[in-house]
Amino acid sequence: MLNFPTKIGDFIFEIQCTTNVFKEFLCTHFITLTKAQVQKPDITIVIKNNYGVPFVNYDVSTKSVDCKIFYKRADYLIEVNNLFQHAVISVHNELALKHALMNLFSAFLVHHNWGLLIHSSCAVELRVAHLFAGQSGAGKSTIARLSEPRKLLSDEASIIKITEDAVIVYDSPFRSELKPLHLQYAYPLKSIQFLNQALQNERVLINKADSLIQLIDKVFYWPYHSEETARIIQLLNLLVKQVPIYKLHFEKNNRFWELIS
Amino acid sequence: MNVKYVQRDQCEATQLEDEWVILDTHLYTITKLNEVGGFCWSLLTQPRSLDMLVQAVTDKYNAKSSIETVQQDVENFLSDLISYGLLEHAS
Repeated sequence: MLNFPTKIGDFIFEIQCTTNVFKEFLCTHFITLTKAQVQKPDITIVIKNNYGVPFVNYDVSTKSVDCKIFYKRADYLIEVNNLFQHAVISVHNELALKHALMNLFSAFLVHHNWGLLIHSSCAVELRVAHLFAGQSGAGKSTIARLSEPRKLLSDEASIIKITEDAVIVYDSPFRSELKPLHLQYAYPLKSIQFLNQALQNERVLINKADSLIQLIDKVFYWPYHSEETARIIQLLNLLVKQVPIYKLHFEKNNRFWELIS
Repeated sequence: MNVKYVQRDQCEATQLEDEWVILDTHLYTITKLNEVGGFCWSLLTQPRSLDMLVQAVTDKYNAKSSIETVQQDVENFLSDLISYGLLEHAS
């Protein structure tokens, strides 16, 4: 049994793995806490393999039964108690494990009304973070590559803490191509860009209602209860009230940063 | 017959500047309202008739349009929101 305590955002996750198959994946993507750093974990996750079939599609079914919530995809099954303290994740392979952990973490954040996991890349410039959001193929990874050597907090799924007074971004272990930095500190979010590849660079401010509408399908979330969906809207509401959101038309070079910083 | 309308209870509304965004948490639809639509929506937490809404809009916005135009606009608004499943007839 592999015992793997880690920290994501402000939370301590105690991951227990019944197999060593995923050891390299976990050690590469997630920061390993020492015994001295581990207090009481916020959630304990048991990972099992030999579940289901290889990736079929992104469709996740959810149900809530007897104080437990289930998220089921062809290649993974998550079972978590409704207080989000204990979870069992059964997966087919490493890709399934990565997506299942994202699914669980996203639901965990919303349950705690702490923040959101947003489909985006995120770079740091002058000690503040700028987010680049879009669906697959919009250019998140391209933007991340073009933004180097700036610190990259994510290239796929950004972890955003949202309160009445501040919006801050944490280093994300949920990455597409880049290796995590394992940073232990967070940065205030200064702007969000919706990506649109173009022949010239242009940044246009979007009004707040349209910003909220366009952000909804960038949130990683699989609803199991209307209350949780309402909570996402409240978090997005706080987000768009504090952070300006733009449409960024960008060509494939790093000159778009002249419009941002 | 004085039909009254009211918000359905699965809606989550938020006001952003002078616009409103209404999320139906059961159907997962999003509807954006302008300022006047948002004002009517905020009144519809309680059952309201067409006449009540027309009067409220006329009073608040000191409408220069004819009462028939305001009535037609509010009627269209109610009809649209019923078709989107956001409003229902009050019992």
